[in-house]
Amino acid sequence: MFPTEIILYCLMGFTLFMAVFAWLAKVPIKYNLRNLLVRWQVTLMMVLAFVLQVGVLIFMFAFVNGMYKLTEGSGVPGNVIVLSDGATDEVFSNLGFADTSDVELHPTVLQSENPDDPGPLASWEVYILVNQPIPSERINGILLGGDFEGDSMKIAHVSWGGVLASGNLQVGDVLQKFNGFTPANHESLQKLLAGKMSGIAPLDFNRNGSPHQTFCDLGKLAQVGSTRRFLQVRGIDNPTRSLAVHNLPLRSGGKVFSQAGVQTIKGPNGIATSAWEVILGEGIARTLASDQKKTTLEAGDTFTVADRIWVVVGVMKSSGSTFDSEIWAKRTLVGPLFGKNSYSTVVLRTKDADSAEITAAELTKSFKKSAIQATPEKEYYARLNTTNQQFLYSILFVAFVVLIGGSLGMMNAMFAAISQRLKDIGVLRIIGFAPWQILFSFLLEALLLSLIGGLLGCAAGFLADGWSASSIVSGGAGGGKSVVLKMTVDGQILVFGMLFSLTVGLIGGLVPAISAMFIKPLDALR
Amino acid sequence: MEGIAERIDSFLVPLVVTPGDAIRFTLVEWLGFFVLFTGFAFAGWAWFYFRFILRNLLRNWLRTSLTAMATMVLVLVVTLVWTILLFLSNATSEKAKDLKAIITEKWQIPSQMPFSYEADLSEGAPSKNGDFRVDTTKDSMTWQFYGGTVDPAKRTRENIVFFFCMDPNKLMTVNDPTIDSLMASIPIPATYPYRKEETGEMVEIKSLNLTDAQKKDLEKVKNAVQKGQITSMMDGLDEMAPEELVAMRKAILLTLGDKRKVVVGRERLLALNKRIGETFKLTSLNYKDIDLEFEVAGVFPDGRYNQSAVMHRDYLNDAMDDYNRRNPGKRHPLSDKSLNLVWIRVPDTASFQKVEGQIAISPKFQSPAVKCETASSGVASFLDAYRDLLWGLRWILVPFILLTMSLIISVAISISVRERRKEMAILKVLGFAPGQILIVVLGEAVIVGILSGFLGSFSTYYLINEVIGGVKFPIAFFPAFMIPFEALWWGPTIGAITALSGSIFPSYNACRIKVSEVFARIS
Repeated sequence: MFPTEIILYCLMGFTLFMAVFAWLAKVPIKYNLRNLLVRWQVTLMMVLAFVLQVGVLIFMFAFVNGMYKLTEGSGVPGNVIVLSDGATDEVFSNLGFADTSDVELHPTVLQSENPDDPGPLASWEVYILVNQPIPSERINGILLGGDFEGDSMKIAHVSWGGVLASGNLQVGDVLQKFNGFTPANHESLQKLLAGKMSGIAPLDFNRNGSPHQTFCDLGKLAQVGSTRRFLQVRGIDNPTRSLAVHNLPLRSGGKVFSQAGVQTIKGPNGIATSAWEVILGEGIARTLASDQKKTTLEAGDTFTVADRIWVVVGVMKSSGSTFDSEIWAKRTLVGPLFGKNSYSTVVLRTKDADSAEITAAELTKSFKKSAIQATPEKEYYARLNTTNQQFLYSILFVAFVVLIGGSLGMMNAMFAAISQRLKDIGVLRIIGFAPWQILFSFLLEALLLSLIGGLLGCAAGFLADGWSASSIVSGGAGGGKSVVLKMTVDGQILVFGMLFSLTVGLIGGLVPAISAMFIKPLDALR
Repeated sequence: MEGIAERIDSFLVPLVVTPGDAIRFTLVEWLGFFVLFTGFAFAGWAWFYFRFILRNLLRNWLRTSLTAMATMVLVLVVTLVWTILLFLSNATSEKAKDLKAIITEKWQIPSQMPFSYEADLSEGAPSKNGDFRVDTTKDSMTWQFYGGTVDPAKRTRENIVFFFCMDPNKLMTVNDPTIDSLMASIPIPATYPYRKEETGEMVEIKSLNLTDAQKKDLEKVKNAVQKGQITSMMDGLDEMAPEELVAMRKAILLTLGDKRKVVVGRERLLALNKRIGETFKLTSLNYKDIDLEFEVAGVFPDGRYNQSAVMHRDYLNDAMDDYNRRNPGKRHPLSDKSLNLVWIRVPDTASFQKVEGQIAISPKFQSPAVKCETASSGVASFLDAYRDLLWGLRWILVPFILLTMSLIISVAISISVRERRKEMAILKVLGFAPGQILIVVLGEAVIVGILSGFLGSFSTYYLINEVIGGVKFPIAFFPAFMIPFEALWWGPTIGAITALSGSIFPSYNACRIKVSEVFARIS
């Protein structure tokens, strides 16, 4: 993210210079320290200001650093990703199998070493971005129907999902009260549902013995902030091979989905129902689990997407890559469901990074059956850094403005320190201290303040390390991936934080120190 | 705990997300009270304090100006962040009237629907008498996206254009024929604010040399927008000058006459290195093998559409038909996926709910299924991916900056009080009550805060809107965020509040100064 070495060398050089100079100049450091303690209130406030500034900057940089780490961690050096020519992102790519099936026959593509799954190490994939209404906390029924009887409602039918389902509510149950709410009539039920579920829910009910059909009013959805999230679904043909191509092992207890990609599970009403088998990234497993008040989804857990039940069969060890936010399912199921009948990409495994580069160039240039663009996978993910860069520039701008503000505040404090100690300066000059030693004394005092503040700020900012956050990474030409990232405070961010703090101290301390240097001893003592 | 957090949130969020509203209200109250109070009863008293405080501030102009400058630059950061938050908050707030709805594919991003959906969806899918029917002449709009590059060998961000393919009339619909002919009669070219020289160079038009009658006609055009005689499905019509409206209408007529003609935003045109009247060919990025040639008919007015481009939807659809004719048995892969979005405008929430229901039960939209949602709900969904970032901006960055400001002011005031202990003691001897000393110290901080805050917000407003052209923060699909006018209040309010909170402790210390102790120390 930053030119770490340069920053580090600057910091080390600066510290060394100050230490040597302080020793040579015989600056009365004790005197400066004592003064900081004497005006402890101002010292404390200035240190606190440093802590806030450095802490917030480290927090912001940790976020962007997490994004960088994610894109850097994605992709395998020996992999080549093939997209249709002109596609700026997987989501826009369309590869017809008939036209492109030969790419996996390229001589540099490695063969699977798994005796149960022989063939070229190629992962044929369809990539789809899917809307998922974020399930409500109270009701996640897709279809809810019932008969109103007085102040109660007898459930005629209820679909899968949410608390209604997890509360073991079944057809025939009478709803007297639900989460403190009395479903007295259709209108009050509408109010309950309003804003709690995405889309529109058909509601069948009987009133005075005659059947009615209407729709639950969910139009107020946005008013309470209920929204949808975008899920990244990757349809694959051969999960074992795809996991091998992407170097993604499964967590213990997990398995790949079956040839059919479907299994029968017991629904909430005790009725057997079919569910699509999926493998999840660790990040998305946590995100989806939050809907069900769990920490993470495990094999056997279910969730609902596009009106279908999906059952988790395995969780990938995908932390630190964009695959962490993906759902893998059988391509022949998810492709047709979302109207994608072609492939988006094929990822080929070659020997190493050099081989990947050569293969990509050859395929792009020589493959004639269809216009394709092949790119080393690492390079493809590196291109997703555009958003990261834009965020980084924005934060650097904020850092610059805060640096100016902080420096001005520091100047204020140091000018005051000088004006209070005019007589001290006069005495120091009379007993033999040179003007430059006076300059250095006050500069050192400012730097000491910024050093303490910077160190504490770094410690405060370090608390952000490891936090999970969501964002989008993209190459800036449409598309992009919604990702779950881990905020990362590393050495270079801490070094930058310290450098920021010392720079504020230097700028804020230098001007007052120069003014102190020109104070005439007799004038000061008068 | 959750309940308490929600209460705190409901109290604080309006202050942070719509600070303009909250601040405007309290400021009006405060100003009214202040003017009334000081104007009639305590004018002399207030004037005395004001002069006294001002003189104190000017005595140490260096400290005052350093504190003011620090406040100014930190106000800049807060104003920028609040601008983004306010804009997003407005974009995701539901309107009760004249609300826009988006109809898209139900489950997939990007939405790709067959163009055969267009006619029914544009009307709101009415199926029986009594159903709500959208006025398709002015209240609906379809979007298809066509992207391409002028240099297929070396694609860069600069040489790529993404077109909104739509009915150009929906950019600006003139509902009254007399207004249309009036606009046609005003001698403003479609290329305004540029004129094409004989050499081919585009020269900016400095003045239009219109007659008084034509200037009156321009006024009528402006009024026509307010009266609803000119409408648009795109946002920002009300921001356009009447000259720009006339030029835009003429450009639209050109695109209607020749489907190759397009309207492009200034910055995009500049990036492409093209000028009005020039032609260019795009090699498509998303519609494989459908490469089209265009001629620039006009430019969007400076502002939110600087990076946008609009083409006639028939041009793309005709090209698709042509492709399918030329390739019998091999339809274009996007033949049944070319409709991306349908926008409709409905008068109120009830109408929206009716249309939403009509679309949901219609058997015509099953493969793929579609959904209808308010524009604000759609935007909110896109923003969900940025929720942590926005949370950080709102609850970490802004409060930390405000605290820093408060501390900087606090340091300045503390130092000032410490240096003037003797003076405070003398004031007490002269009869000043502790409360009066408190007012003096607080007043110094608040005046510095208000003045520097105003200067900070005003300079931010001018710098961002007039010089830079908006805050270009890469969030969702918003090109740039302009500082709202109400931001001019944010600075003084932030300055006043942070100054007040920062100076409470030092001013309390000042009013508790003991005369005997001070003089004992001096002696």
